[in-house]
Amino acid sequence: MSTLTAGEVVSRIKTNLGFPWRDQTYRDTFKFGGPDTVVTGIATTMFCSYGAIQRAVEAGCNMIVPHEDTYWNDRDDQSIVSGDPAYKLKVDFMRQHNIIIFRMHDHMHARKPDFIYVGLARALGLDSKWETAPQSHHFNLPETTLADLAVHCQRQLDDRALRVVGDPNAKVSRLQLGVGYATPSINGPDVDVVVSGEQQEADGFLDSPAYVLDAMTLGIPKGWIMLGHNVSEEQGMLEMANWIRSIVPEVHVQLVRSGEPFWAPK
Amino acid sequence: MQKIARRKFIALTATGVAATPLVARARWIGGRVTALEVVERIKKNIGVEWKPETVDGFKAGDPSSGVTGIVTTALASLDVLGRAVKTGANLIITSEPTFFSRADTPTPPVRRPFGARASSAPAEPSVPPPPDPVFTGKDDFIKEHGMIIFRLSDHWSLRTPNPLAQGLADSLGWSKVAGEGDLKTMTIPEASLDALVVHVKKSLNSRGGLRIVGDPALRIRTIGILPGSTPIQASIAMLPRVDALIAGEVREWESVEYVRDSVALGEKKALILVGRIVSEEPGMRACSDWMKTIVPEVSSSWISAGDPYWRPTQ
Repeated sequence: MSTLTAGEVVSRIKTNLGFPWRDQTYRDTFKFGGPDTVVTGIATTMFCSYGAIQRAVEAGCNMIVPHEDTYWNDRDDQSIVSGDPAYKLKVDFMRQHNIIIFRMHDHMHARKPDFIYVGLARALGLDSKWETAPQSHHFNLPETTLADLAVHCQRQLDDRALRVVGDPNAKVSRLQLGVGYATPSINGPDVDVVVSGEQQEADGFLDSPAYVLDAMTLGIPKGWIMLGHNVSEEQGMLEMANWIRSIVPEVHVQLVRSGEPFWAPK
Repeated sequence: MQKIARRKFIALTATGVAATPLVARARWIGGRVTALEVVERIKKNIGVEWKPETVDGFKAGDPSSGVTGIVTTALASLDVLGRAVKTGANLIITSEPTFFSRADTPTPPVRRPFGARASSAPAEPSVPPPPDPVFTGKDDFIKEHGMIIFRLSDHWSLRTPNPLAQGLADSLGWSKVAGEGDLKTMTIPEASLDALVVHVKKSLNSRGGLRIVGDPALRIRTIGILPGSTPIQASIAMLPRVDALIAGEVREWESVEYVRDSVALGEKKALILVGRIVSEEPGMRACSDWMKTIVPEVSSSWISAGDPYWRPTQ
């Protein structure tokens, strides 16, 4: 049995990233457990949900590398949530199963290539031959309609609660990909359609829903397909699992899906 | 016409009318109630102190213009503006921005190149953004039709009871069952979550914007209402007291994951997300009723911006 510790795993992640670790990150730190615990197996996941932790335990993994927060706020400030019954149950379960959580967010997005984009492009079948410049996440696709592209996204990602703004018949070919909460601007002159994760609906830097609605009224073909935060970033955690396996061969490493949280009425 | 009025205005202020309150002068020039005067009445009657730092204010048009009619809406989309013009109204009271951002200016905001956040390269010198046909098209429409747009968001939602929560409860048919005082939580006729979702969808004219977390068969008796956009603190404070939250917009890494975990840990809870704009529609309809009481001289009506989203059916 391996005596590999969580601290050693984190150290290998840091040394193999290809650029210096940024110590000022508040995101990419231990969220539960610490460096001295012996690792039985490693699970990557998108949201560090209770269900994902449970499935990691079932798969024999006690170290979890999530992309997102554990305590329902970005800073993982436990004082906000510590009075809630679900917090206590979640923490009890993690303690009982000797869980270690080390978040990987900022350094994943800073890495070249960013696995989160690699995974989403793979899952959507966005061939690199269509990408207009390496890592631009901007693709010139064979022309299609917004409706057909939305159906394609829905099927490829099994995305039950995907939402679309714009004229379903709008002809689109120039696609800008976004992930998580980093929605690219829909108003770029070289962008017909944005496919992204989550964005606030109004009062942001550029309110895409309102912009696309008005573009539609003006007859300007624009579209926006919003996949949801989990669906947009979960794919790349498979690439992350494969990468960690390559630098940590001693233990089992796999992706555990947190899965889409939503359902939508018919 | 307007230029002559402006010249008159300047001439009058120069010959000793300067002591007259601006509102009265503006009214005199237009010959009817002006947008500025309407806003003075809003400020006087809204029941909360006007904040120095606020998104509320004029976003387009000339506040000294005479008002031909008032339209309230959750979102002053170009479609809503077009319908307002047909009703003869020129003053729009909107909850959300007109020009697609918190900055709410008729030209696009300057953004760092996409992906620049992750790089340590020095910021490029800011250059004015190129003309954007959607910003320009909307601004031209507003000017051509002499429209005035006022955003009323912060202060409207500070009223007691919160008109956005009250409006949602009214639209969902729960005014009578709602308890006294706290309109944000209420006991409703018991229903399964999936039946409740059908009711919400129909009552709010939702299209593709509805997203649900929770067991469709869960029995729901108590509801918490979170209109607009709310942080995790609001959900944490409310969910333990109710079976289901009906919210406009939340952050997915906050309240969505919080409710998902609560459900996975065995708690009988649910979350119904209707979308930010849809959640504010009934409260802005209530705003037009309120406008009638403080500006009886002109007609006020509400125009629905509608659910911006659709979803393919497979």
